[in-house]
Amino acid sequence: MASSPQLSALLGMMQLTDSALPTGAFSHSLGFETYLTSEQIIDEETFSTWLEMFASQQLTFTDALAIRLVYAAKTFDDIVDLDELITAQALPTQIRHGGITMGKRLLFLGAESYPSEWISTYAEKVSEGEMYAHQALVWAILARELGVEEDDAVAAHVYATLISLTQNAVRGIPLGQNAGQRVIRGAQEWVEQAVKASAELGYNDLGAISPGLEIAQMRHEHQRARLFMS
Amino acid sequence: MQQKPAEKWAGILQMRVEAAESGRSFARRQYHEGALRIIRPHYLDANGQVTYTVINPGGAYFGADRYLLEFETEKNSELLVTTQSATKVYKTPQGPAFQQMNITVGENSVFEYVPDQLIVYREGSYRQVTSVQMHPTSTLLLSEIITPGWSPEKTDFSYDELNTRTEVKVEGENELKRLVVDQLRLMPHADQKISGLGMMEGFTHTGQLLLADRRLDDELFEKIRVLAEASDTYTGVSRAGTGEVYGVKCISIRTLARSTGAVSALHTAIIDAVREEVRGQSPLNLRKF
Repeated sequence: MASSPQLSALLGMMQLTDSALPTGAFSHSLGFETYLTSEQIIDEETFSTWLEMFASQQLTFTDALAIRLVYAAKTFDDIVDLDELITAQALPTQIRHGGITMGKRLLFLGAESYPSEWISTYAEKVSEGEMYAHQALVWAILARELGVEEDDAVAAHVYATLISLTQNAVRGIPLGQNAGQRVIRGAQEWVEQAVKASAELGYNDLGAISPGLEIAQMRHEHQRARLFMS
Repeated sequence: MQQKPAEKWAGILQMRVEAAESGRSFARRQYHEGALRIIRPHYLDANGQVTYTVINPGGAYFGADRYLLEFETEKNSELLVTTQSATKVYKTPQGPAFQQMNITVGENSVFEYVPDQLIVYREGSYRQVTSVQMHPTSTLLLSEIITPGWSPEKTDFSYDELNTRTEVKVEGENELKRLVVDQLRLMPHADQKISGLGMMEGFTHTGQLLLADRRLDDELFEKIRVLAEASDTYTGVSRAGTGEVYGVKCISIRTLARSTGAVSALHTAIIDAVREEVRGQSPLNLRKF
C-alpha cells in the first residue's frame, strides 16, 4: 500500500529530527555549560529561563530564519550563499564547529536516505571542501524535498534542538527525568513563538542576537572542566 | 511639500588615503557634504599612519536621517579613523537613524576604526551597516562601544532599537569571499528581559572589537585572552570567520561592562598588543584634539 504524501513527510520528519539520530547533538550544550559552571543554571527553573532565552535568540535568529530562507531559495546558488553566511556569522569557534559537525552528519545521513539534487550537490561540495554544512540548512533542504510545510519544518527543528539540549541538561545539571519532560512540554510555547517571530525576519537579520549568549559561548572554550564540546 | 528621495543622505564623508614616497600616509581625495565633516589630519607616532577625526556639527544623528562614510586605503597606506565625541541618537519618531560605512583596505595597508561610544537615548532607534572589502595582506581593526543611553527617569535601555551589522569580505584573484559577519541586536522596547540572562547579563555597556589580519597567531590570541581576563569587564574572545580566507585570520572580542572607560581600556590594551606584535608600532595615544 502506497503511503500518502503527508504520511511520508511526517515519517521522514520523525526520523530526521529524532534526538536519537546520530548527529552528535548529545555532546553540545551550545553555551549552557558556561552558565552551569558559573552556577547561574542550577535547577529546572534556571535551566528553563536559559532555554527560553536560547529559543528566542539563537534558534529564532539563526536556525529558524535559516530554514525559512532555504524554503525561499530559488537556485542552489542561494544555498551556497546561506551556507557561507551562516558559518561567517557564528563568531564563537565552538558554535561554528558544532554547526558544521552536526550539519555534516545530518547531510551524509540525509543524502543516503533521501537523495535529491540539492542534498546530493550539498554533500558533494562539502566533501570537496567548497561548502561548510549547517544542521538547519541541511534539515531545511531535506524537509522541503519531503514536502514538509515551512512552519512545520521550523517547529520540528527548533523543538528537536530544545529537546536534545534538555536531555543534555538532565545529564549535566543533573535534572530528574520528570523535570526534563516538564521542561520539554513547557518548551512548546517557545517553539510557537520562534515560528511566529522568525516569519517577521529577513536575510540581513540572520544571526543578529544579544551579546551575553555569544560571550558565554566564547568563554566555554577556556573552561577548565567541560562535559560538552560547546 | 517636497518629498525627500530615499537615496538622499543627510551627511556624506568620503576619503581615499595613499602612502607618499616618504612612507607618510595622506588623503589623496576627500569629500564631505551635509552633516559630516572631517578635521585636519594628525600623525600620532613616527610610523606615518594618518589619523582623521570625524565630526558631526549637528551634534547628533536624527530620526530617519541617513549618513554615508566611505574610506579607501591604497597600497601601503595606514589610516586611523576616530570621532571627536560620542555619537548620539535622540528620539527618532520619524524612523531609525542609519549609518552606512563602506571600507576598502588595499594591499599591505592598515585601516583602524576607533570611534567614541555610541549613545542611543530614550525612544531612539539606530541601525548601522558596515561593509568591508580587504586585501589578504591588509590589516583591519573595528571597535565599537555602546552605552545604555539615558532617560529622565534614569532608567537604562530606554531606547527602542539598536542594530549593527558588519560584513567583511576578502579579495581573491577572481572573487570576494566572506570572512565574517558581526552583528548586534538590542531591542529593549520589545525584549523586556534585556538586562537578563544571555542578553546583557546585568551589565550596562557593550563592546565589540573585530580584528582581521594574516598575522593573528596563537601567541597573540592567548595574549588578548589574558588581557580580557585581567580587565574590569566580562569578555569573550574567539577565533571567528569562515576559516583562513586567503590566509586572513579573524578574532572577535565581545565585552560587557559597567562603564565606557572599562570597555575602552580593554580595547586600547588589545589594539596596543596587536600594534606591537603584528606591526612593531608604538601604543595608540588618542588624545582628543
